[in-house]
Amino acid sequence: MNRQLWFAICLLVAGLAWAQPKTLPAYTNLGVSTGKAGGSLTLALASAPQTFFYYGAIDAAIQNLANQMFDGLIEYNLANYQIEPALATRWSISENRIYTFELRRNVRWHDGRPFTADDVVFTYTQIVANPEARGGDAANFEGVRVEKLGDFRVRFTLPKPAPAFIHYMRLPIMPKHKLLPFSQEGGKPRAEINTAWPTNVNPEEVVGTGPFRLRSYTPGQQVTLVKNPNYWKRDAAGNPLPYLDQVQYLIIPDSQARVAQFLAGNLGQINITGAEFPDLKRRETQGGPFRVVQFRALFGSPPHIGFNYNAKNPELARLFSNSEFRRALQFAVNRERIIEDVYNGLAERASYGVAPISEWFYPEVVRLQGRYDLNAANAALDRLGLARGPDGIRRLPSGRPLEFTLTYGSNSAVFSAIATILQNDFQRVGVKVNLQGILAANLLATGRGSDWEAILLALGDQPDPELRTPIWKPGGALYYWHQATQPTTPGGPPQFNNFLPWEREIYDLWERAASTTNFTQRKALYDRWQAIAAREAQVIMIAKEYAVGAVSNRYGNYIYSLGVIPGYNPLVLLFQR
Amino acid sequence: MGIGVFILRRALVALPTLLLISLLVFTVIQLQPGGFLENMLEDPRVSRETVEHIRRQYLLDQPAWVQYLHWLRGILQGDFGFSFLNGRPVSELIWERLGWTVFLAALTLWVTWLIAIPLGIYTALNRYSPTSTALNFVGYFGLATPDFLLALLLIYLVLASGGTNVGGLFSPQYIDAPWSWAKFKDLLAHLWIPLVVIGLDGTANIMRQMRANLLDALSQDYIRTARAKGLAERVVLWKHAVRNAINPLISLAGLQLPTLISSTIIASIVLSLPTIGPFLYDALLNKDQYVVMALLMLSALLLMVGNLLADILLAWVDPRIRYE
Repeated sequence: MNRQLWFAICLLVAGLAWAQPKTLPAYTNLGVSTGKAGGSLTLALASAPQTFFYYGAIDAAIQNLANQMFDGLIEYNLANYQIEPALATRWSISENRIYTFELRRNVRWHDGRPFTADDVVFTYTQIVANPEARGGDAANFEGVRVEKLGDFRVRFTLPKPAPAFIHYMRLPIMPKHKLLPFSQEGGKPRAEINTAWPTNVNPEEVVGTGPFRLRSYTPGQQVTLVKNPNYWKRDAAGNPLPYLDQVQYLIIPDSQARVAQFLAGNLGQINITGAEFPDLKRRETQGGPFRVVQFRALFGSPPHIGFNYNAKNPELARLFSNSEFRRALQFAVNRERIIEDVYNGLAERASYGVAPISEWFYPEVVRLQGRYDLNAANAALDRLGLARGPDGIRRLPSGRPLEFTLTYGSNSAVFSAIATILQNDFQRVGVKVNLQGILAANLLATGRGSDWEAILLALGDQPDPELRTPIWKPGGALYYWHQATQPTTPGGPPQFNNFLPWEREIYDLWERAASTTNFTQRKALYDRWQAIAAREAQVIMIAKEYAVGAVSNRYGNYIYSLGVIPGYNPLVLLFQR
Repeated sequence: MGIGVFILRRALVALPTLLLISLLVFTVIQLQPGGFLENMLEDPRVSRETVEHIRRQYLLDQPAWVQYLHWLRGILQGDFGFSFLNGRPVSELIWERLGWTVFLAALTLWVTWLIAIPLGIYTALNRYSPTSTALNFVGYFGLATPDFLLALLLIYLVLASGGTNVGGLFSPQYIDAPWSWAKFKDLLAHLWIPLVVIGLDGTANIMRQMRANLLDALSQDYIRTARAKGLAERVVLWKHAVRNAINPLISLAGLQLPTLISSTIIASIVLSLPTIGPFLYDALLNKDQYVVMALLMLSALLLMVGNLLADILLAWVDPRIRYE
């Protein structure tokens, strides 16, 4: 009897503890202090939102907005990117593949309805795992069983271990009571979910659990969010968050116009590039009422040169798939100059798929990639038997000059500048490069086709290499530079017979890394992968840009955010002085 | 021939032309490399399967001619298709942006004519005066400067002089506010930049046309005759010369109607204007084919309607012209 009473008391205490809101760490190393409630902030969106339903489109605008309107089960620590509780207060993992989450209690949707396990199960089974939801993630949730174990308890059972699975738990949770009518569970075809919350929806309908809720949208001009007074986060001193009463987003497609609006004081904060940095920094030192701040970024997309191992010209294909050749050209890539001239010094050497500040980064990569050395490049090309002709251009075995097309994004100032530097330096080692500019938005589509020789492309870094498997695991859907490794039928096995020996090695490393959740083991495997990728110059990584932002002096507690990364939202801490 | 028959005949000619244009536009869109679905794949969330589902959903797996016929059938039922990007009917999306687009274009057109015609007359009458030379210079400058450059220049000037109205049509606090005197003043404070940027090119053009036409008319025999029979110079100029000189400009006005949509794309992007321009630009980049089709067809339709209106107007202004 006594024992049962004790047990009940323990449960009650624990329940109270769960009911408490989340208190954020002090983040003093990020310069965070206790803020002041009230005020408003105006930000920019580069394009108008296509929908207000996060899973209804792949759209940067709604990804930005959803970060403020919704929460995931987990989120990232703002300083070190470690995974922290969000809508889930704690979780346990058993057998490497059964995840049980305890949900936060007393969280309310913006319309006052309570948040429960039903919402989580609904979000993952009806939306995320729905193969017809445009912004869903069905591939990663195939065979995953999601069950409600109680009003505040959810269990995910995976068919096999997936070490990075926990990262998917940062996807925003949607309200079942609002979205049921658009779902399969609500009797609709699966594709119907994409029609939820179009941009002309009544803002009252768009409810989340996030720090701000939708108030209005004026097409092509502005989105307005207002504070959620019942938000479940507190600052380190226990004050309710967010501090701001209102966040407005102006739709400004042009980056120069954004800078102008910021300088005019109409925008409170903008993200800028290294190219825009000198002008703004100069204005800051001349007494402009703002600060320009740089951070090393975990997310973001470092550019690389990809060579088409299956180029249509068989002589080029033979060269491009030869590691000796790619290594030789890598010697002619002047990363230091690119960092200095193109990024104004605001970049660093990059690895494959993981940022230099990531815990997964393998520092030896920089040494293995080597330094800029034209003599070494020339010597290596000579060793390949590519002798120079009378015009200084090397000759292929057939006697034709060694020239190829480098496709780049001509509407990006960064890509254009890098392409020109590469063209000049390659010319100096007797390799003629013809530049072909296309829209940056079409680069990946071009790379995934067969009509290219070399390409300057940027693919995003993620907090866990596992999340980028389709890019870096040979035979993956985005392993575009060696398409002969890709499966002949979607979902089929890769064409192992076309693997190069080191590609097979990388493939096996990724297979092993995907089958364990032990960090030390995975780290060792991914280190080995990065070493091979660097040694073989799989693609030639160029540089990783720093994140640079500018913020008006009217605001305090500014921490850079790319804006589109679910689970990383420092805006709740920002306050108006 | 009556005006009714004239309009009917023109409409009948317009139909096959529009059909031909639609076929051309559709072909061009199909030839564009890359596409809406390919761009989705870079996102780590998107799988091949998802893309295949969407491909089937929008009939993108069908041959181009099936897609074209499907689209055509929709048009006949008043359905202009669905935006891939926005997941909403195209007509709704265009409608949302049509208000400001028409407002800006109509206002610019009106201001342009209001300024250009008198200036054209003035520069024709005072050919070698310093004022005319200065006006001609401004005209050449207006013709030669790309509008986005002019926009950036004006933005820079406003910033340098401490102003804050550097884009959009309103200050942020007024965008959602109900109409008030303050909001109207705010609109005026923003409106002059787009008016100058979009209008300068047209003003210069029309001014120079008017000047050349008037000079041409003034050298005609009937002007000499009018002067010879002792008409007041005022009557000679306004009743004889200007009325004849203005005729070709009316045809020109008809051609300006489609610029409602297309001519302001770049200026609208640089100045963050809520018009159809940036919307069309996004659609083109993302190969949102039904939006592009609808807007280009609208543009073609406006061109035809504009020509028709110009012809009717011309017949009304100039009694020598008959519907034939």
